[in-house]
Amino acid sequence: MRTHFDVFGLPRSHAVDVPALEKQYRELSLQLHPDRVAPGNAKERLAAVEGTTALNEAFKTLKDPVRRAFYLLKLHGVDLDREDAGAQKDMPLAFLEEVMELREALDDAMAAKDLPRAQGMAKDVAVRKAAALQEAVAALGALEGAGDSPDGVRKASHALGRVRYFTRFLEQVDAFEEEVLA
Amino acid sequence: MSNNGYLQIHDPLKPKGHVVGIDLGTTHSLVASVTQGKPRCVPVDEGDSLLLPSVVHYGKDGGVVVGARARKLAAEAPTDTIVSVKRFMGRSPDDPETRKLGHYAFAPGANVVRFDVAGGQPVTPIEVSGEILRALKRRAEAHFSGKVEQAVITVPAYFDDAQRQATRDAGKLAGLEVLRLLNEPTAAALAYGLDKGSQGMFAVYDLGGGTFDISILKLEDGVFEVKSTGGDSALGGDDFDRAIAQHVLQKLGVESPTPARIAEVMVAARRAKEALTDAAEVTLSVEGHSQPLSRADFEAWIQPLVAKTGAVCRRALKDAGVAAGELDGVILVGGSTRVPAVRRFVAELFGREPLGDIDPDQVVALGAAVQASLLTDTDRQDEVLLLDVIPLSLGLETMGGITEKLIPRNSTIPTAAAQVFTTFKDGQTGLDVHVVQGERELVQDNRSLARFTLSGIPSMAAGMARVEVRFQVDADGILSVTAKEQTTGAAQAITVKPSHGLTEEEIEKMLLDSIDFAEDDIQARQLREQQVDAERVLAEADRQLRENATLLEAGEREAIQAAMARVREAAAGKDYLAVKEALHALDEASRGFIERVMNRAITQVVSGHSVEEY
Repeated sequence: MRTHFDVFGLPRSHAVDVPALEKQYRELSLQLHPDRVAPGNAKERLAAVEGTTALNEAFKTLKDPVRRAFYLLKLHGVDLDREDAGAQKDMPLAFLEEVMELREALDDAMAAKDLPRAQGMAKDVAVRKAAALQEAVAALGALEGAGDSPDGVRKASHALGRVRYFTRFLEQVDAFEEEVLA
Repeated sequence: MSNNGYLQIHDPLKPKGHVVGIDLGTTHSLVASVTQGKPRCVPVDEGDSLLLPSVVHYGKDGGVVVGARARKLAAEAPTDTIVSVKRFMGRSPDDPETRKLGHYAFAPGANVVRFDVAGGQPVTPIEVSGEILRALKRRAEAHFSGKVEQAVITVPAYFDDAQRQATRDAGKLAGLEVLRLLNEPTAAALAYGLDKGSQGMFAVYDLGGGTFDISILKLEDGVFEVKSTGGDSALGGDDFDRAIAQHVLQKLGVESPTPARIAEVMVAARRAKEALTDAAEVTLSVEGHSQPLSRADFEAWIQPLVAKTGAVCRRALKDAGVAAGELDGVILVGGSTRVPAVRRFVAELFGREPLGDIDPDQVVALGAAVQASLLTDTDRQDEVLLLDVIPLSLGLETMGGITEKLIPRNSTIPTAAAQVFTTFKDGQTGLDVHVVQGERELVQDNRSLARFTLSGIPSMAAGMARVEVRFQVDADGILSVTAKEQTTGAAQAITVKPSHGLTEEEIEKMLLDSIDFAEDDIQARQLREQQVDAERVLAEADRQLRENATLLEAGEREAIQAAMARVREAAAGKDYLAVKEALHALDEASRGFIERVMNRAITQVVSGHSVEEY
């Protein structure tokens, strides 16, 4: 199967030079885009649409460190984007407690229309998210080196499960912020 | 929408003629073309005006008038004169937005707005827009003394799939091959970018007559990349006019104004607004009443509207991941950015003086002409490439009326997403899918794009069939859907029913009906109407002769049949007046007979009921 890394000719790794990736994306777009195909060539145009679609998808995934990490995990057989993913149900108890605590605190702040309090929480959660992502990246790096080990995959999947939750939390604060400002 | 996608297929053998860029605006429309390497707008209305008012008047004689002449007719025939039709594009009659838009008479039924206008059939916004495009095409052809058959047409970045689809269909009705639907802000940036050869990050603030758009774009290495876009498809300068009109009517103590009155006050309000760009105070006169209007009052009235654009801008900046201070320039587009209060607001919001050295009315059309030239001129192919985004998230309805996002907003197009569906009953061979567009959680808060049924799924146990549905968004931002059953590899039939807008068949029929390629359109239209009439009358006459033969008097059948033959003969010709005359003659010849038929019918109805019922 052709991976997103293959589209850019990159090795399978979380370490991606984003400015270089952006430059390469523009160069590949110039080559592949349907607008570059001579009018009249329907077959080539169709191929160009498909090629550009794949390029756009690969670029979107690889330029963002969080998406990139989820994608690497997916290549190891765990797709956290699927709602029915077993990995989601299998989170450790300590994390579930952390989630409940955060959830309640945010609900309180939102009920009190207290934007500064919610923003303060978001700041703290952003730090936790960065730490969880780092943990995930380390676990994924170990997987690339040593091959699939159930333990290693679980480690990465737990860390990314937390990233995913923190991301949702931050989105909620964003939505709350927009609501208060509007 | 259909299952075969919407890729433009070009016919290399077709003569090309001039390629143009068209700004199909809410209040006015323009057409531009690149000549000698420079985009220029083409005169399209009275007095060599480059702006064609987007107003279409339908006359009682079936004639259609477009532009300044139509606008003059708005006050006396408000329901037969459609202004701001762009606001109705892709909307259904029961859309809450549609109801706010005013004084038109809508024909009942269907999921598309139909204006009840003089001179024949009700018309859809697609047909009205088609008339505007056709007028632009004709006038550009007159200007170039040559054919115009291919165009890039601009749409607000915020247009959803239904609105884009409607715009493209309007182009088709006007006899244009639509090379690309281009987002208006992107077009504006293209007009600036190529002239100046600039690199960097730009915001395009576009406040037109009826829509507001903001886009954040990056130009680097010859690639124009749209980073994010946002907007409000029901906010613009018309709302400024409306704000003035409301206050004026209030001051005059008018409670429920007539459509004609509203139209008149709106015209006066627009003039006042334009004058207030330079003057601090103007006098507004309506029906002999003069009223002073100060710029300060006007600015206070429109302040909430202008502030609404600020929230949209902040979200677009956030989506693009840039701060206002990191921008290299802010481009102003749309006539409403001439309003000093708007300019001040933009300067404050972005912390810099906006660029406005290309006429804000022309800049979109000029950019569209540039893109048209880039797409067709092989010598220009490596100059610049445009990467646009989808403005609103595409999603599916899941259990409990929740939206599941498939393609998030601001994804670069072309893009695609796939979703695997499974059956929940043994032997189930069909599945219903509902596609929506928007950012909200609940399906009911988003815009319904289409419902379709996956049919012909091989009969299997529940959960065994796996149907992969692929949603492809093309470079115009238009969606197409394909499906495949994964275990058998069988392609699935998809019948897509657009929630708004017209079906493929309706468009095809309109295309046939509109007879775009006839030299004289009004003549052709009248001929077509007479032919339809003739068909109907002939069928009816046949039926009556058959069913009521006993009521015929001596020689009557022969006379009627002779008149029918003359109608048939005339209908096969090209002269609509001849058809009309023949129909009239048939009417005369059959009058006595038809009266007898009617009398008998009435007698039968009455005798079928008891006296008490009457």
